[in-house]
Amino acid sequence: MNLRKVLRIARWEVSKNAGQLDRRAIAVGLVVLLAVGALTPMVAQRGVTLDDGIYQVGVSPESPYYEPVAQDPTFAPVDPKGTLSTGEVGPNPKADVVVCTEEMVRCAPGEVVWDDTRKGKAALAEFRKTVKQYNDLLMSRESNQTAAFPVEVSLRYEEQTGLNPAGASGSSAARTTREGEERLGGGQSGGTGSPGATTAPGGSAGSGTGDGSSGSDGPMQAPSVGSGGGSLFGGNARGGTPSDIAPPFPFESLVLAFAFVLPMNFVIQAYASTILDERINERGELLLVSPVSRGDIIAGKTLPYLLGMTAIASITAVGIAILTPAAEGATAVASTAAASVSAVVPIALLFLASAFVGGMFARSFKELTFVTVTLSVFLTSYAFVPAIFTNVHPVAAISPLTLVVKALRGTAFSLGEYAFSTGPLYLSAGVLFALGAGVYREEDMFTQRPVPLKFLDALDSQISGRRSMVKLSALSIPFVFVGELLAVALLFALPVSLSMPVLLVAIALVEEVAKSVHVYAGFAHDRFERTLRSAATLGFLSGLGFFLGEKATAVAQLVGLPNLELGRAAFGTVTGLGVETSPLVLLGLLFAPLALHTVTTTITAAGATRDRNWYAGTLVVATLVHAAYNLTVVSYLG
Amino acid sequence: MIEVENLRKTYSGFTAVEGSTFSVPEGEVFGVIGPNGAGKTTTLKMLAGLVEPTGGTARVAGYDAQNPEMRKHLGFLPEESPLYEDMTAVSYLQFFADLYDVPTAAARERIHDTLDRLDLEHRERPIGDMSKGMTRKVAIARSLVNDPEVLIYDEPASGLDPLTTNYIIEFTRELAESGKTVVFSAHNLFHVESICDRVAVMNDGRIVARGSVENIREEHGQTEYRVYTTVEVEGSVKENGHYRRTVESMDAVEETRELAASAGGEVADIQTHTPSLEDIFLDLAEDSPDVEGRP
Repeated sequence: MNLRKVLRIARWEVSKNAGQLDRRAIAVGLVVLLAVGALTPMVAQRGVTLDDGIYQVGVSPESPYYEPVAQDPTFAPVDPKGTLSTGEVGPNPKADVVVCTEEMVRCAPGEVVWDDTRKGKAALAEFRKTVKQYNDLLMSRESNQTAAFPVEVSLRYEEQTGLNPAGASGSSAARTTREGEERLGGGQSGGTGSPGATTAPGGSAGSGTGDGSSGSDGPMQAPSVGSGGGSLFGGNARGGTPSDIAPPFPFESLVLAFAFVLPMNFVIQAYASTILDERINERGELLLVSPVSRGDIIAGKTLPYLLGMTAIASITAVGIAILTPAAEGATAVASTAAASVSAVVPIALLFLASAFVGGMFARSFKELTFVTVTLSVFLTSYAFVPAIFTNVHPVAAISPLTLVVKALRGTAFSLGEYAFSTGPLYLSAGVLFALGAGVYREEDMFTQRPVPLKFLDALDSQISGRRSMVKLSALSIPFVFVGELLAVALLFALPVSLSMPVLLVAIALVEEVAKSVHVYAGFAHDRFERTLRSAATLGFLSGLGFFLGEKATAVAQLVGLPNLELGRAAFGTVTGLGVETSPLVLLGLLFAPLALHTVTTTITAAGATRDRNWYAGTLVVATLVHAAYNLTVVSYLG
Repeated sequence: MIEVENLRKTYSGFTAVEGSTFSVPEGEVFGVIGPNGAGKTTTLKMLAGLVEPTGGTARVAGYDAQNPEMRKHLGFLPEESPLYEDMTAVSYLQFFADLYDVPTAAARERIHDTLDRLDLEHRERPIGDMSKGMTRKVAIARSLVNDPEVLIYDEPASGLDPLTTNYIIEFTRELAESGKTVVFSAHNLFHVESICDRVAVMNDGRIVARGSVENIREEHGQTEYRVYTTVEVEGSVKENGHYRRTVESMDAVEETRELAASAGGEVADIQTHTPSLEDIFLDLAEDSPDVEGRP
């Protein structure tokens, strides 16, 4: 690869596309950027406050309730007094909740009344919660913490399945500490045990729990982020009453993490368009005939978009790290930003690689839109859904976005976690670029064929002989891994009795397609003789390649994902995890997958020698055989 | 400068080019003609290294056509040349000059010199605002930005008005006179006839005739005699009040005269017709005999 020419093409790509933007588009783009730039810090600093001022609370400044109401942006304090139909002074009818004053009739001073509507009841519930939190805060500021929180309970947070996250030590059987201990009631971090302090003075609002002793060392969960006085991402260090403990859902973190992914969806549209633009009317032919390799062309055209994505991610990361520091200091900000960006880059690469392939396969801009939107949804789901379960469930380790959330929350992640989350993405991006590059030539680039046929063309471009089957099967592993992880992510919430069989079939299908589709592409392009002998040879080679590549998935052990029941179903057949038997049997089990893969791929290869329908039929048969094998392993050995 | 030996290209069972063999010495203008789908463009693209041959060899400027080094010595002009509309002619040409490692100063001088020769004004105007003829001139200038020894032009004057077409054909002739080797295809056989030293006629992927225009005419374009009679004779057609019988030898002319006499008529006129390249081309395209003219 010639770096000078790559950079020249990159510069040309920028200047060429800059000319396509008129002033109006630039203005709109700037407005959008400014809006994102303004909103992101706001979200980072204040969290998502869609409910600002949603409830009106009638409370006088002299009331002890005024302070908590005024501090909570959910409420808008208003004059508590209103005029009744009789002309007397009563609760303000416009307020959702009113704290009565002495002037009011039909309402005792200090009593809390509310509008008898759904909104009024919701306002009352929120009012109670706010008052309770306010009281907790006051208690935490007491100089005598022992008096404020006479009972101290140590909490140990544990994973639902008793697993360690990536990099943590300990056996899978042990239910171990997740992120260190949290302290309820007292302690240096300022506990917020609330011994019934929120009882309303003479009103119905008082509902303090008064139960500071209910903490246990059972499977408690992480405190909710951003509630109360803790920092947005450093909130784990605060204490709280047991009733404060809510299912962890790092919403703000995810919103911010989404801020990393969102711009990518726009960038890939532009990128895919420029790729397709080269194919329209054979425009890119002149580049192909110039003394640069297609690798130079692709790298040059991709570089500006990758740099753009990285720049956006860097700015976002630095902005968030400055505004909501998990730790103080420029070094901490830089390290948080660097960690976040390092996790975002493989996502950006995969987005670009997918868009590149989409641009190479689509026949028109209309078709490209469909392809890129589908890719956006799929990739965003893959990155985003598992990250919701950051620090909750090991399935979160799948997504690099989890690393971003961790980085923003000031939680370190290990190299093993990084490799596990990003490895499949790096590899998938590489393979996708290679596939697209395979058809980045005059003969394929300018032909108008349906996307599936283009995909077969791309696979065929990578075939140079029978041995290519080994290579292509091995290279399919990242996609298999991504597909299986996605299946795990989508199914793990369902009951095991339901999710397990579905998963076993899904995994079998993914693997059978991955092993056989290039064999089919080879037959479809008349690369191989259409005989059963040829099918058997190709089936064996493809199965062998898959078997060898599959061993790479042993990296799954790094994070303990296979210990999850679904993870075991997904990867157990690969690694033989959980099997406790003699070495001879283990050896047999090690090579059993080889037999499985070669046999099932030979079945599909036999179908591929005929036509598409035969291929589809044999694919079903191979999938069922494979699923039966998986079921056997899970049932008797796993 | 160009050596093509038994060149072959197939696409999924379809043969686009079969067994093409020819050579083009330095400084020659070589024309490739044939009907649509004859394999002309595929042949030119194989010479340019854009399409990988299924069989045979093609060497250009001493390199295998698939060797990226060869591209430095080649200027290629495709039949359609959609350029990047948002770039100006100069920035577009400068970009390609950079890719060909032409020093910036030399490139600038060469670009403006070529555009001067092509009489292209409005060089700083976006290409999208240019006429088709002007765009074509920019594309031609692009093919010359690296000062190549070999030029491969596919239908250089396709879809242009007669004035611009003549301009481009003349320009091509000048390029050949300056020592460049030119291979080009054209539908307008008059242009081919007027500037090509030699031609190859292609049909159904094969070269069906090859050589100088004169040789091909001599080989495949037999002189015809059109004998006009006052009465109808065997094989004649009515034309302008007489009956025309086309024959290919003086013996046949005599036979026609005898036929007319026996029918009570006479020969009114005899015309000699030398076929143009177009006539030969149409004839060859119809019959597609696998024959060659003298090299």
